Amino acid sequence: MADHWDIFCRVIDNYGDIGVCWRLARQLHHELGIRVRLWIDQLDVLTHLCPQVRMNLGCQQVDGIEICQWETCSEETQPARVVIEAFACEIPGCYQRSLLSLHESQPNPPVVWINLEYLSAENWVSECHGLATPGSSTSLRKHFFFPGFTTETGGLLKEAGLRGQVRRYQQKFTSQSSQATPDLWARLVGKTGENQLPDSQKMPGELRVSLFCYQNPWIPRLLDYWSSRSAPTSLFVTHGLATNQVAKWCGYSLKAGDRRQIGALELLILPFLPPPAYDELLWSCDFNFVRGEDSFVRAQWANRPLIWQIYPQEDAAHHKKLEAFLSLYLRGFSNVEAVSEFWRLWNHIPPDRSWAHTSGIEDAWEKLLHFRQEWNRHSEEWADRLDRKSNLANNLEMFVRKIREETSSS
Amino acid sequence: MSVKLAGDLQSGNVVIVEGNPLVVLKAQYNKSGRNAAVVKLRMKNLLTGRVSETVVKADEKMEQIILDKKECTYSYSAPPVHVFVDGDYNQYEIDAETMADVEKYLMPEMTDVVEVTFYESKPISVVFPKVIIREVEYTEPVTRGDTSGKITKAAVLKHSKYELQVSAFVEIGDKIEIDTETGEFRRRC
Repeated sequence: MADHWDIFCRVIDNYGDIGVCWRLARQLHHELGIRVRLWIDQLDVLTHLCPQVRMNLGCQQVDGIEICQWETCSEETQPARVVIEAFACEIPGCYQRSLLSLHESQPNPPVVWINLEYLSAENWVSECHGLATPGSSTSLRKHFFFPGFTTETGGLLKEAGLRGQVRRYQQKFTSQSSQATPDLWARLVGKTGENQLPDSQKMPGELRVSLFCYQNPWIPRLLDYWSSRSAPTSLFVTHGLATNQVAKWCGYSLKAGDRRQIGALELLILPFLPPPAYDELLWSCDFNFVRGEDSFVRAQWANRPLIWQIYPQEDAAHHKKLEAFLSLYLRGFSNVEAVSEFWRLWNHIPPDRSWAHTSGIEDAWEKLLHFRQEWNRHSEEWADRLDRKSNLANNLEMFVRKIREETSSS
Repeated sequence: MSVKLAGDLQSGNVVIVEGNPLVVLKAQYNKSGRNAAVVKLRMKNLLTGRVSETVVKADEKMEQIILDKKECTYSYSAPPVHVFVDGDYNQYEIDAETMADVEKYLMPEMTDVVEVTFYESKPISVVFPKVIIREVEYTEPVTRGDTSGKITKAAVLKHSKYELQVSAFVEIGDKIEIDTETGEFRRRC
């Protein structure tokens, strides 16, 4: 009989929480044959990623996954034997009680309770990965599972065959005229039902950039610069905060499907892209501006230079996290300073005695362009390096097996 | 018994976990993501002596037991124990392992007054003052015109092999302040 797992997800903000949980649920089911029930507190957020989801249903089956609204969880809910609470969300009290009761009354196979944590490249993550939190009065303990970039951590989400898919796509589109921006645009917009046929061809020397970001005061400066350069820049602007900030810079409203030429800068305003379409965008651009966790990971699988806007935290804790990733990511790269400078600027890390920038965002951008080819190669090597480590879903499954073996033998 | 958040635990605190008294040997606080944080705890079971490591959310409530405490000064070491003396000249032996996280601050003739905690009359932990002063035995000189961007360098404390990062201007023989909770350099005296 297929193993049965429950995943609990609370949406704090944006799409990262459910993005990660939905990917994980699908991978566990489609690749590992696990029966997955996904509990979510804001179903409407999932409808953006998965349009088949119906808002009026308490529980429904979509793409092999049972999706349940959080509030339908009750004393009558039969818990699964593997429970994942994503990003430290607390599972409902009634479910917790049922889980403890199941653990005590039917100890075989053992119940496994996992807290899936946030992604970080910091060293302490490998020291905490896999450790259990003490229980109160029972032997049921919650284990901490940390995603990460090294073999000592839980790894990253990556579907089977993703690397081959990216390579085939990139090989195909570098050898065909359909690499042209208007064609990409039509495909992306067409996928969401707002097809707009291209009316221009790819320009020589064109730079294609995708923009997905939080609020960022550098955006107007960068747009000014791109619009005044001699070489053309095509900017794919994602739905939401990015579009709002670009619209503010333009001085007029922008909506999905709009294409505007401002000097050397062409703005291509995107609708909300479902994950497969967003992946295609990442694979197609020369530079990807990404944010948070989910798009950050997807951009690393895209073989292309990325610029990460990290989720801001209290006490500037995110500065350390950014530096930890930079030092890992840029190992073996000759132009560490240029990439670090741009990333630090983009994230508003104040200069101190450890780093200083003498130029603005425009010069920092120009420095990046100088070694674009090397960064491209490095991006592919980095993805290959990550690919050699097992992925998060497989690691989770192995971890569950290990906990069960340990519990059974103790 | 009182309740303490895991994020506020320090080495020397004693908590009840699954019915057992555990002394915290080391508490490492880390921000995980967004504004969540976790604490990695190295703890010793006071009944069995077993040492274990665990992770808890920083906002997890822990049951802390308040134990007898005495102010003591360091007397001498006789491995594997360190001997402390209270104001009435009573001597207490404390396992080096129990002191794991603060053992590095011990030095001959040190005058710091430490707090020794007792569980059922047995000394189980030592807490140093928040700030102590130690002398730097060795550190590399600063290279003039160094443009590498480094702002700190390693320094080794006198009477100890403890190495910590200090400001570039600190020199051999300087006395420095150390934060005993974090083990970090605070400033030159």
